[in-house]
Amino acid sequence: MTRQDMSAIPNGDLLVILRHGPHGSSWLREGLDAALVAAAFGQRVSLLFLGDGVMALLGGQQVGPLGQKGTQPMLEMLGMYDIETLLVDRGALVERGIGVSDLSVTVSLVESEDIANVLAHHRQILNF
Amino acid sequence: MRYALLVQGGPYSHQASHSALRFAQAVVARGHHLATVFFYHDGVYNAARLSAPPQDEPHLLDAWRRLNDEHGTELLVCIAAGLRRGLLDEREAARHGKQGHSLEAPFELTGLGQLIEAGSHHDRLVTFSP
Amino acid sequence: MILHILNRSPSASRIFQQALDAMGPDDRLLLIEDAVQGALPQLVRYFEPVIGRLFALREDLVSRGLEGRCDDRVLVVDVDGFVTLTEEADKTVSWF
Repeated sequence: MTRQDMSAIPNGDLLVILRHGPHGSSWLREGLDAALVAAAFGQRVSLLFLGDGVMALLGGQQVGPLGQKGTQPMLEMLGMYDIETLLVDRGALVERGIGVSDLSVTVSLVESEDIANVLAHHRQILNF
Repeated sequence: MRYALLVQGGPYSHQASHSALRFAQAVVARGHHLATVFFYHDGVYNAARLSAPPQDEPHLLDAWRRLNDEHGTELLVCIAAGLRRGLLDEREAARHGKQGHSLEAPFELTGLGQLIEAGSHHDRLVTFSP
Repeated sequence: MILHILNRSPSASRIFQQALDAMGPDDRLLLIEDAVQGALPQLVRYFEPVIGRLFALREDLVSRGLEGRCDDRVLVVDVDGFVTLTEEADKTVSWF
Protein backbone atom coordinates (compact mmCIF):
# COMPACT_ATOMS: atom_id res chain seq x y z
CA MET A 1 0.00 0.00 0.00
CA THR A 2 1.49 3.32 -0.99
CA ARG A 3 0.94 6.59 0.79
CA GLN A 4 -1.47 7.67 -1.92
CA ASP A 5 -3.61 4.66 -1.11
CA MET A 6 -4.10 5.59 2.54
CA SER A 7 -7.57 6.95 1.86
CA ALA A 8 -8.36 3.30 1.10
CA ILE A 9 -7.82 2.30 4.73
CA PRO A 10 -11.25 1.19 5.83
CA ASN A 11 -12.85 2.74 8.87
CA GLY A 12 -12.92 -0.23 11.19
CA ASP A 13 -14.58 -0.97 14.51
CA LEU A 14 -11.49 -2.57 15.98
CA LEU A 15 -7.77 -2.43 15.25
CA VAL A 16 -5.73 -5.25 16.78
CA ILE A 17 -2.03 -4.40 16.89
CA LEU A 18 0.28 -7.43 17.01
CA ARG A 19 3.86 -6.78 18.11
CA HIS A 20 5.08 -10.20 19.21
CA GLY A 21 6.18 -13.18 17.18
CA PRO A 22 4.96 -16.77 17.51
CA HIS A 23 6.08 -19.26 20.20
CA GLY A 24 8.01 -16.88 22.51
CA SER A 25 4.90 -15.71 24.38
CA SER A 26 1.13 -16.00 24.18
CA TRP A 27 0.60 -12.36 23.10
CA LEU A 28 0.25 -13.17 19.41
CA ARG A 29 -2.17 -16.04 20.00
CA GLU A 30 -4.25 -14.06 22.47
CA GLY A 31 -4.31 -11.03 20.17
CA LEU A 32 -5.47 -13.13 17.24
CA ASP A 33 -8.09 -14.75 19.50
CA ALA A 34 -9.45 -11.31 20.34
CA ALA A 35 -9.56 -10.38 16.65
CA LEU A 36 -11.40 -13.58 15.68
CA VAL A 37 -13.95 -13.18 18.48
CA ALA A 38 -14.58 -9.54 17.56
CA ALA A 39 -15.11 -10.54 13.93
CA ALA A 40 -17.49 -13.30 15.04
CA PHE A 41 -19.43 -10.59 16.90
CA GLY A 42 -19.86 -8.78 13.60
CA GLN A 43 -17.21 -6.09 14.09
CA ARG A 44 -15.07 -4.86 11.21
CA VAL A 45 -11.60 -5.87 12.37
CA SER A 46 -8.20 -4.85 10.97
CA LEU A 47 -4.83 -6.24 12.02
CA LEU A 48 -1.66 -4.16 12.18
CA PHE A 49 1.67 -5.99 12.46
CA LEU A 50 4.46 -3.91 13.99
CA GLY A 51 8.03 -4.81 15.01
CA ASP A 52 8.45 -8.48 15.92
CA GLY A 53 4.78 -8.96 15.05
CA VAL A 54 5.74 -9.38 11.39
CA MET A 55 7.30 -12.72 12.34
CA ALA A 56 3.74 -14.02 12.67
CA LEU A 57 3.42 -13.80 8.89
CA LEU A 58 6.51 -15.73 7.84
CA GLY A 59 5.78 -18.98 5.97
CA GLY A 60 7.15 -22.36 7.03
CA GLN A 61 6.35 -22.18 10.74
CA GLN A 62 6.12 -25.41 12.71
CA VAL A 63 4.66 -26.67 15.95
CA GLY A 64 7.07 -26.55 18.92
CA PRO A 65 9.06 -29.59 20.14
CA LEU A 66 6.44 -30.37 22.81
CA GLY A 67 3.65 -29.97 20.32
CA GLN A 68 2.98 -26.33 21.17
CA LYS A 69 0.60 -25.02 18.57
CA GLY A 70 1.85 -22.17 16.47
CA THR A 71 -0.33 -19.37 15.18
CA GLN A 72 -0.18 -20.10 11.46
CA PRO A 73 -3.49 -22.04 11.46
CA MET A 74 -5.14 -18.98 13.06
CA LEU A 75 -3.85 -16.75 10.26
CA GLU A 76 -5.38 -19.09 7.74
CA MET A 77 -8.75 -18.69 9.49
CA LEU A 78 -8.82 -14.92 9.19
CA GLY A 79 -10.45 -14.98 5.75
CA MET A 80 -13.28 -17.15 7.00
CA TYR A 81 -13.99 -14.52 9.63
CA ASP A 82 -13.93 -11.73 7.01
CA ILE A 83 -10.75 -10.23 8.46
CA GLU A 84 -9.13 -9.08 5.25
CA THR A 85 -7.28 -5.93 6.27
CA LEU A 86 -3.79 -7.10 7.24
CA LEU A 87 -1.54 -4.05 7.51
CA VAL A 88 2.19 -4.54 7.87
CA ASP A 89 4.88 -2.04 8.79
CA ARG A 90 7.21 -2.04 5.79
CA GLY A 91 10.16 -0.96 7.92
CA ALA A 92 9.80 -3.97 10.22
CA LEU A 93 10.02 -6.32 7.22
CA VAL A 94 13.03 -4.49 5.76
CA GLU A 95 14.80 -4.49 9.13
CA ARG A 96 14.50 -8.30 9.23
CA GLY A 97 15.31 -8.91 5.58
CA ILE A 98 11.87 -10.40 4.98
CA GLY A 99 10.20 -9.88 1.62
CA VAL A 100 6.48 -9.91 0.86
CA SER A 101 6.99 -13.17 -1.06
CA ASP A 102 8.21 -14.80 2.20
CA LEU A 103 4.83 -14.21 3.84
CA SER A 104 2.13 -16.85 4.15
CA VAL A 105 -0.79 -14.45 3.65
CA THR A 106 -1.65 -11.46 1.49
CA VAL A 107 -0.92 -8.15 3.23
CA SER A 108 -0.91 -4.40 2.64
CA LEU A 109 2.31 -2.57 3.42
CA VAL A 110 2.19 0.60 5.51
CA GLU A 111 4.91 3.22 5.76
CA SER A 112 5.80 4.22 9.32
CA GLU A 113 4.52 7.78 8.78
CA ASP A 114 1.06 6.36 7.99
CA ILE A 115 0.69 4.23 11.12
CA ALA A 116 -0.91 7.06 13.11
CA ASN A 117 -3.47 7.37 10.34
CA VAL A 118 -4.33 3.69 10.65
CA LEU A 119 -4.97 4.12 14.39
CA ALA A 120 -7.14 7.18 13.78
CA HIS A 121 -9.32 5.21 11.34
CA HIS A 122 -10.48 2.74 13.99
CA ARG A 123 -12.95 3.28 16.80
CA GLN A 124 -11.28 0.89 19.22
CA ILE A 125 -7.70 -0.39 19.55
CA LEU A 126 -6.29 -3.42 21.32
CA ASN A 127 -2.51 -3.59 21.49
CA PHE A 128 -0.79 -6.97 21.99
CA MET B 1 -18.68 8.15 31.54
CA ARG B 2 -18.67 4.37 31.54
CA TYR B 3 -15.20 2.85 31.83
CA ALA B 4 -13.80 -0.61 31.19
CA LEU B 5 -10.31 -1.76 32.16
CA LEU B 6 -8.32 -4.57 30.60
CA VAL B 7 -5.76 -6.03 33.02
CA GLN B 8 -3.09 -8.31 31.54
CA GLY B 9 -0.31 -8.31 34.14
CA GLY B 10 0.07 -10.95 36.84
CA PRO B 11 -0.46 -9.61 40.37
CA TYR B 12 2.71 -9.02 42.41
CA SER B 13 4.90 -9.86 39.37
CA HIS B 14 4.36 -6.58 37.53
CA GLN B 15 3.02 -3.19 38.49
CA ALA B 16 0.16 -3.49 35.99
CA SER B 17 -2.43 -4.75 38.51
CA HIS B 18 -1.53 -2.05 41.04
CA SER B 19 -1.64 0.62 38.34
CA ALA B 20 -5.02 -0.64 37.17
CA LEU B 21 -6.41 -0.62 40.69
CA ARG B 22 -5.16 2.90 41.41
CA PHE B 23 -6.69 4.09 38.14
CA ALA B 24 -9.94 2.25 38.95
CA GLN B 25 -10.20 4.02 42.30
CA ALA B 26 -9.55 7.39 40.68
CA VAL B 27 -12.17 6.72 37.99
CA VAL B 28 -14.92 6.07 40.54
CA ALA B 29 -13.74 8.96 42.75
CA ARG B 30 -14.28 11.28 39.79
CA GLY B 31 -17.89 10.11 39.54
CA HIS B 32 -17.53 7.83 36.53
CA HIS B 33 -19.05 4.38 36.36
CA LEU B 34 -16.41 1.66 36.26
CA ALA B 35 -18.58 -0.93 34.58
CA THR B 36 -16.13 -3.70 33.77
CA VAL B 37 -12.68 -4.98 34.62
CA PHE B 38 -11.64 -7.72 32.21
CA PHE B 39 -8.69 -9.96 33.13
CA TYR B 40 -6.71 -11.53 30.27
CA HIS B 41 -3.25 -13.04 29.75
CA ASP B 42 -1.51 -13.36 33.18
CA GLY B 43 -4.00 -10.83 34.56
CA VAL B 44 -6.31 -13.77 35.23
CA TYR B 45 -4.23 -14.61 38.33
CA ASN B 46 -5.77 -11.56 40.01
CA ALA B 47 -8.82 -13.78 40.51
CA ALA B 48 -6.98 -16.57 42.39
CA ARG B 49 -9.22 -16.96 45.42
CA LEU B 50 -6.50 -18.35 47.68
CA SER B 51 -4.22 -15.36 47.20
CA ALA B 52 -2.60 -14.63 50.58
CA PRO B 53 -0.22 -11.68 50.40
CA PRO B 54 1.65 -10.54 53.54
CA GLN B 55 -0.49 -8.28 55.73
CA ASP B 56 1.68 -5.23 55.13
CA GLU B 57 1.21 -5.41 51.34
CA PRO B 58 -1.77 -4.25 49.30
CA HIS B 59 -4.38 -7.01 49.05
CA LEU B 60 -5.27 -6.88 45.37
CA LEU B 61 -7.91 -9.63 45.51
CA ASP B 62 -9.83 -7.89 48.30
CA ALA B 63 -9.51 -4.54 46.55
CA TRP B 64 -11.03 -5.91 43.34
CA ARG B 65 -13.85 -7.49 45.38
CA ARG B 66 -14.49 -4.15 47.06
CA LEU B 67 -14.86 -2.43 43.70
CA ASN B 68 -17.54 -4.96 42.82
CA ASP B 69 -19.24 -4.60 46.18
CA GLU B 70 -19.24 -0.81 46.37
CA HIS B 71 -19.54 0.17 42.72
CA GLY B 72 -21.06 -2.85 40.99
CA THR B 73 -18.01 -3.29 38.78
CA GLU B 74 -18.19 -6.63 36.98
CA LEU B 75 -14.99 -8.66 37.31
CA LEU B 76 -14.66 -10.78 34.19
CA VAL B 77 -11.97 -13.40 33.67
CA CYS B 78 -11.27 -14.78 30.20
CA ILE B 79 -12.21 -18.44 30.44
CA ALA B 80 -9.67 -19.65 27.85
CA ALA B 81 -6.80 -17.78 29.51
CA GLY B 82 -8.03 -18.80 32.98
CA LEU B 83 -8.48 -22.54 32.41
CA ARG B 84 -5.00 -22.84 30.90
CA ARG B 85 -3.56 -21.19 34.01
CA GLY B 86 -5.56 -23.15 36.58
CA LEU B 87 -8.28 -20.58 37.31
CA LEU B 88 -11.48 -22.63 37.57
CA ASP B 89 -14.78 -21.88 39.27
CA GLU B 90 -16.81 -24.70 40.89
CA ARG B 91 -18.62 -25.53 37.69
CA GLU B 92 -15.48 -25.77 35.57
CA ALA B 93 -13.68 -27.71 38.30
CA ALA B 94 -16.48 -30.29 38.29
CA ARG B 95 -16.50 -30.41 34.50
CA HIS B 96 -12.77 -31.11 34.43
CA GLY B 97 -12.86 -33.58 37.34
CA LYS B 98 -10.79 -31.34 39.66
CA GLN B 99 -11.04 -31.30 43.43
CA GLY B 100 -11.56 -27.79 44.71
CA HIS B 101 -11.85 -24.59 42.74
CA SER B 102 -9.58 -21.57 42.43
CA LEU B 103 -11.95 -18.79 41.37
CA GLU B 104 -15.22 -17.65 42.88
CA ALA B 105 -17.76 -14.84 42.75
CA PRO B 106 -17.67 -11.91 42.30
CA PHE B 107 -15.17 -12.96 39.62
CA GLU B 108 -16.84 -14.58 36.62
CA LEU B 109 -15.34 -16.76 33.90
CA THR B 110 -16.52 -15.40 30.58
CA GLY B 111 -15.63 -15.45 26.92
CA LEU B 112 -13.53 -12.90 25.10
CA GLY B 113 -16.74 -11.63 23.54
CA GLN B 114 -17.44 -9.84 26.83
CA LEU B 115 -14.23 -7.84 26.36
CA ILE B 116 -15.25 -6.91 22.82
CA GLU B 117 -18.71 -5.89 24.08
CA ALA B 118 -17.23 -3.86 26.93
CA GLY B 119 -15.01 -2.10 24.42
CA SER B 120 -17.90 -1.15 22.19
CA HIS B 121 -20.57 -0.37 24.82
CA HIS B 122 -18.49 1.65 27.27
CA ASP B 123 -17.07 5.11 26.64
CA ARG B 124 -13.45 4.29 27.48
CA LEU B 125 -11.31 1.16 27.58
CA VAL B 126 -7.92 1.48 29.28
CA THR B 127 -5.39 -1.37 29.22
CA PHE B 128 -2.80 -2.20 31.87
CA SER B 129 -0.21 -4.71 30.69
CA PRO B 130 3.01 -6.11 32.20
CA MET C 1 -6.94 12.60 19.85
CA ILE C 2 -5.52 9.37 21.21
CA LEU C 3 -3.86 9.00 24.61
CA HIS C 4 -0.88 6.66 24.32
CA ILE C 5 0.31 5.08 27.57
CA LEU C 6 3.87 3.74 27.82
CA ASN C 7 5.25 1.68 30.73
CA ARG C 8 8.78 0.76 29.53
CA SER C 9 11.94 2.74 30.16
CA PRO C 10 13.35 4.13 26.89
CA SER C 11 16.83 3.04 27.96
CA ALA C 12 15.77 -0.59 28.33
CA SER C 13 13.27 -1.09 25.53
CA ARG C 14 12.65 0.20 22.02
CA ILE C 15 8.89 0.00 22.47
CA PHE C 16 8.83 3.78 22.89
CA GLN C 17 9.72 4.08 19.19
CA GLN C 18 6.64 2.06 18.24
CA ALA C 19 4.54 4.39 20.34
CA LEU C 20 6.08 7.50 18.78
CA ASP C 21 5.60 6.11 15.25
CA ALA C 22 1.94 5.52 16.02
CA MET C 23 1.26 9.01 17.37
CA GLY C 24 -0.70 11.53 15.33
CA PRO C 25 0.06 15.27 15.51
CA ASP C 26 -2.43 15.91 18.36
CA ASP C 27 -1.97 12.65 20.25
CA ARG C 28 -0.58 12.65 23.78
CA LEU C 29 1.88 10.34 25.51
CA LEU C 30 1.70 9.44 29.20
CA LEU C 31 4.69 7.77 30.87
CA ILE C 32 3.77 5.41 33.71
CA GLU C 33 5.59 2.74 35.73
CA ASP C 34 9.17 2.18 34.50
CA ALA C 35 8.62 4.60 31.61
CA VAL C 36 8.74 7.59 33.99
CA GLN C 37 12.54 7.34 33.75
CA GLY C 38 12.02 8.91 30.34
CA ALA C 39 11.14 12.16 32.12
CA LEU C 40 14.75 12.57 33.30
CA PRO C 41 16.64 15.35 31.49
CA GLN C 42 19.21 12.77 30.33
CA LEU C 43 16.57 10.51 28.73
CA VAL C 44 13.85 12.93 27.65
CA ARG C 45 15.62 13.38 24.29
CA TYR C 46 14.00 10.11 23.16
CA PHE C 47 10.67 11.89 23.37
CA GLU C 48 11.76 15.13 21.65
CA PRO C 49 9.08 14.80 18.88
CA VAL C 50 6.24 14.92 21.42
CA ILE C 51 7.52 17.52 23.87
CA GLY C 52 4.56 19.66 24.92
CA ARG C 53 2.26 16.66 24.87
CA LEU C 54 4.46 14.43 27.01
CA PHE C 55 3.08 13.59 30.46
CA ALA C 56 4.42 11.56 33.37
CA LEU C 57 2.49 10.05 36.29
CA ARG C 58 3.52 11.73 39.52
CA GLU C 59 3.05 8.79 41.88
CA ASP C 60 5.30 6.58 39.76
CA LEU C 61 7.95 9.32 39.86
CA VAL C 62 7.55 9.75 43.61
CA SER C 63 7.77 6.03 44.41
CA ARG C 64 11.01 5.84 42.43
CA GLY C 65 12.53 8.92 44.02
CA LEU C 66 12.42 10.76 40.72
CA GLU C 67 10.05 13.63 41.54
CA GLY C 68 11.99 16.86 41.27
CA ARG C 69 14.47 15.27 38.87
CA CYS C 70 12.20 15.64 35.83
CA ASP C 71 12.91 17.76 32.81
CA ASP C 72 10.88 20.99 33.04
CA ARG C 73 9.18 20.29 29.74
CA VAL C 74 7.51 17.12 31.00
CA LEU C 75 3.94 17.68 32.20
CA VAL C 76 3.56 15.86 35.52
CA VAL C 77 0.04 14.67 36.39
CA ASP C 78 -1.42 12.90 39.40
CA VAL C 79 -3.72 9.89 39.03
CA ASP C 80 -6.71 12.26 38.78
CA GLY C 81 -4.92 13.91 35.87
CA PHE C 82 -4.46 10.45 34.33
CA VAL C 83 -8.23 9.97 34.40
CA THR C 84 -8.72 13.46 32.93
CA LEU C 85 -6.36 12.59 30.07
CA THR C 86 -8.50 9.53 29.29
CA GLU C 87 -11.66 11.67 29.44
CA GLU C 88 -10.21 14.12 26.94
CA ALA C 89 -9.00 11.43 24.52
CA ASP C 90 -11.27 9.61 22.07
CA LYS C 91 -9.50 6.36 22.92
CA THR C 92 -6.37 5.05 24.59
CA VAL C 93 -3.59 2.70 23.47
CA SER C 94 -1.18 1.06 25.89
CA TRP C 95 2.37 0.21 24.81
CA PHE C 96 4.27 -2.38 26.85
